[in-house]
Amino acid sequence: MLKNYFKIAIAVLKRRKFFTFISLFGISFTLTILMVTTAFLDKIFSPNYPDLKRNRSLYVTTVLLKNSKEGWMNRSPASFYLLDKYISTLKVPAKIAISSFSAATNTYVNNKKIIIEFKYTNADFWDILDYQFLEGKPFNKKQIDQAAHVAVISEDTKKAYFGDAATVIGKSIEADNVNYKVIGVVKNVPRTMTNIYGDMYLPYTVSKANYKEPGLMGDYNAILLAGSDADVPKMKQEFNQMIAKVPINNKEFDQFYCSADGYFEGIAREIAGRDDGSSGVVKLISILSLLAFLFLLLPTINLVNINMTRIMERSSEIGVRKAFGASSRTLVYQFIVENIILTFIGGAIGIILSVIVIYYLNTLNLVPNLNLSLNLAVLGYTLIACLFFGLLSGVYPAWRMSRLNVVTALKAN
Amino acid sequence: MLKHLFILIWNKRKQNFLFLSELLVSFLVIFAVFSFLVYYFQNYKKPLGFEYEKVWSIHFTNSVKIKNMDSLSMYYDNLRKTLKSLPQIEKVSFSGANIPYSNNNSTTGLTNNGKKYNRINNYRVENEYKDLWKMKLVEGRWYNEQDITSTYIPMVINESLKEEMFGKGPATGKLIGSLEDKIKWKVIGVTADMKANGDFYPAGPAIYAKVDTSAYRWMRNALIKVSPGADAAFESRLYKLLSGTLKNSNIEITHLTDMRKSKNEATIIPMIIFMIIAGFLMINVALGLFGVLWYNINKRRSEIGLRRAIGAGGKSVSYQLVYESLILATMSLTAGCFFAIQFPLLNVFDIPASVYLTAILLAMIFIYMLVFLCSLYPGKQAAAIHPAIALHEE
Amino acid sequence: MIRLQNIEKVYRTDTVETLAVKGVNLDIAKGEFLSIMGPSGCGKSTLLNIMGLLDDPSKGSITINNQDTKNLSDQQLAKFRNQHIGFIFQSYHLINDLQVLDNVALPLLYRSSTEKERRILAAVALEKVGLSNRLKHFPTQLSGGQRQRVAIARAIVGSPQIILADEPTGNLDSAMGNEIMEILINLNKHRDTTIVMVTHDENMAQKTHRLIRLFDGSQVL
Repeated sequence: MLKNYFKIAIAVLKRRKFFTFISLFGISFTLTILMVTTAFLDKIFSPNYPDLKRNRSLYVTTVLLKNSKEGWMNRSPASFYLLDKYISTLKVPAKIAISSFSAATNTYVNNKKIIIEFKYTNADFWDILDYQFLEGKPFNKKQIDQAAHVAVISEDTKKAYFGDAATVIGKSIEADNVNYKVIGVVKNVPRTMTNIYGDMYLPYTVSKANYKEPGLMGDYNAILLAGSDADVPKMKQEFNQMIAKVPINNKEFDQFYCSADGYFEGIAREIAGRDDGSSGVVKLISILSLLAFLFLLLPTINLVNINMTRIMERSSEIGVRKAFGASSRTLVYQFIVENIILTFIGGAIGIILSVIVIYYLNTLNLVPNLNLSLNLAVLGYTLIACLFFGLLSGVYPAWRMSRLNVVTALKAN
Repeated sequence: MLKHLFILIWNKRKQNFLFLSELLVSFLVIFAVFSFLVYYFQNYKKPLGFEYEKVWSIHFTNSVKIKNMDSLSMYYDNLRKTLKSLPQIEKVSFSGANIPYSNNNSTTGLTNNGKKYNRINNYRVENEYKDLWKMKLVEGRWYNEQDITSTYIPMVINESLKEEMFGKGPATGKLIGSLEDKIKWKVIGVTADMKANGDFYPAGPAIYAKVDTSAYRWMRNALIKVSPGADAAFESRLYKLLSGTLKNSNIEITHLTDMRKSKNEATIIPMIIFMIIAGFLMINVALGLFGVLWYNINKRRSEIGLRRAIGAGGKSVSYQLVYESLILATMSLTAGCFFAIQFPLLNVFDIPASVYLTAILLAMIFIYMLVFLCSLYPGKQAAAIHPAIALHEE
Repeated sequence: MIRLQNIEKVYRTDTVETLAVKGVNLDIAKGEFLSIMGPSGCGKSTLLNIMGLLDDPSKGSITINNQDTKNLSDQQLAKFRNQHIGFIFQSYHLINDLQVLDNVALPLLYRSSTEKERRILAAVALEKVGLSNRLKHFPTQLSGGQRQRVAIARAIVGSPQIILADEPTGNLDSAMGNEIMEILINLNKHRDTTIVMVTHDENMAQKTHRLIRLFDGSQVL
């Protein structure tokens, strides 16, 4: 039966080439835009180099202090003090990475300015994140304790600072008028990973600022790694219990919020989170869905319109089928299958177009080091989008078709 | 004739429902695109109001823990002297984080005659700030060394704020108050608007408040205007010098030209993506409309044949189809305008009504053009229908 | 009134050449009611189309009202049809999305006339066919006989001197067919309208002044 449908579908599509072209154009471009967007979101939300253990990680990025009487509030990254004194004592996390958000500084090589974003990290940082070392290795706990002036730099920084040198291990790099010894070079990280991005990684003990200063607001963030996926809720619970115990010690504020979020939750909080400390997951998903709906609205109406035309044109065929015993249901199925086949052909063209667009976007390098790619997940989402789109644009015309009166349908031509 | 066509379409409104809704949504999409474009263009046309070339921003983290006001003041004076001693540096002014083209802003609220004004940009400035940016005064004067505290603290505001508060009349000499009206300032001058948020955004109301000693702890940027001779080698030397002067600080030098570029790109790139998507949607819609109109001709062969038989010329039939589409467009646009007009009426997003009205007009022209072009060829096809054949098909 | 001289019509497709009408000569006087009969495919309709200036003959000439129609442009032909000829079809060809009154007023749209004039004339025409109470109905709400009466009203609304009817009773039962026939005969009698009717029905043909028969494109009687 399905094979039969398929044959009819192809025959129908061939018969009205112009309509087929319009439909395919609409479907393939709509899906291309969806696919590129999905590839981008996938790059941001799903585990990617070097942050591969997202499923069992929780992220602590911001603290929120509020004065409930006057209505002030202050949102800022966490302080090293908070993370070191309180969060480090948690029992459930297997490891805790602490690092500062990157800050920019300049260095000058032969009078050429290089902007270096440097960040301070602890030793666990290198265990939790799977940085790929092109040469050398990370700094260890001992080097941190000694406040050794050592640095891990990114591939881009190596190129900008040292040019085409084959190896740079042991060479010295100057930033902020301080010399550091390069001990490792890592593969670049895209700028979208704000909490771990850096051009240069330094032991936190060499920080010029007084990182030990008490207070809750600072420049740091943390990643808590659970021993297994199952431990994550327990870890979250322990974290919240700890936060409840942290004293505010600041006359200006009376409320303190800090949360350990999953990756998506964390981004949602940043974009759509509210002042009362609740995360914005629902809000963010609603906003994204609304945008997708608005974007899909026009191509869908267009496709429904064309499908209606297609069906009305075939009303005599439908009349004949009905007269010879096809039930409305069979016809509806037939039409929906036809439409889904059409959508999938459009989807296939869409994939080819997406590959081209993604290649072009990667060449443009709009976000440095963010290399979009079509992986299985993205293709899977596309498949769902295809099915959804095919059903959406096929159901209404099919319903109208099933209500066609046999006599009028036969007369119509 | 027009009435006849209108009746014909009105009676077919059920069949035309999809066509109408497609045009309606298209209109709203185009309205959105044009609203952005008109808004950006209107702002782009306004003068910049300052000169950013050869201005550098030096950002330093102030890890010096100076509690004493006098020594804090001395610290900044020393830094200023160091910078001024370099022949390549023409002007120096310390600033808060909200320097033009940065992503930071600082706002405050004001009162005037009991009316509250919110979200006023608050720039902390020094005497040389105006000359550094080559800002223009519209009335009154800028700060000078003689501004010793009199009864009221002097204050410079920009033209936008002046118009909001005082309309067309002069502002110099008037008093304005802080949000709770506890502090009073006396306006001594009004500057021309300075488009600090990039070329595509308005300056917005602003005050330029002279920094007092206690606020120095928040000043982590030094703005400098360099001479044309200041090159990369000079920048490198300057950096070394500053690292020596500001021990325990991270220092970053940024050129305003670079900041402006990335600030403008942050507007242009999303706009281009938006326009590409809208363009694609419109091609899609155009093809769809064309296809449906074309098909409708086949469906209406008998009607067209009849009209020809009873005396309609080929041209008349062709015009009829084009008019019909335009009437359909008019129906959609009427509904579309009803939605679109809510934006200026409700003052959504605080954007001038002229932006929305221009955008509505442009979007209407766009949709009419689109529909006209899409119906041209089907209309021609209709004119070619042979009445004798069309009338005998059934 | 209508003079056909040596009319020939050839349909050409890629491979076949079909002679639909050959060598027809016909003179129809003013006020005459003529019927044309013949088996299917004998060229009756083609002949009627040529008379109605919907189709040009491959050969021969048509003179209507002493005017040779050969060199008229598309626009002029349209105007000529509008003023001199009214059409009635077997399948009515009413516009389903327009009310009866608007359907009838249709020919007047292509003349210079005011809305009010059109409504009055259309109402008068409908009164003549006995449908004064159906002005606001849509064609789909009417019976076959009523529809054909609307079509007749449309054909006479512009007061043409000629009415061409292509099997006007073909889709109707005999009672309704007779009704339609009555109207046509009345028109012919009281208004002196020239009527040419193609029909399959011998009884109907007998009611007219003159009957010609076509066979394979030629006049046989």
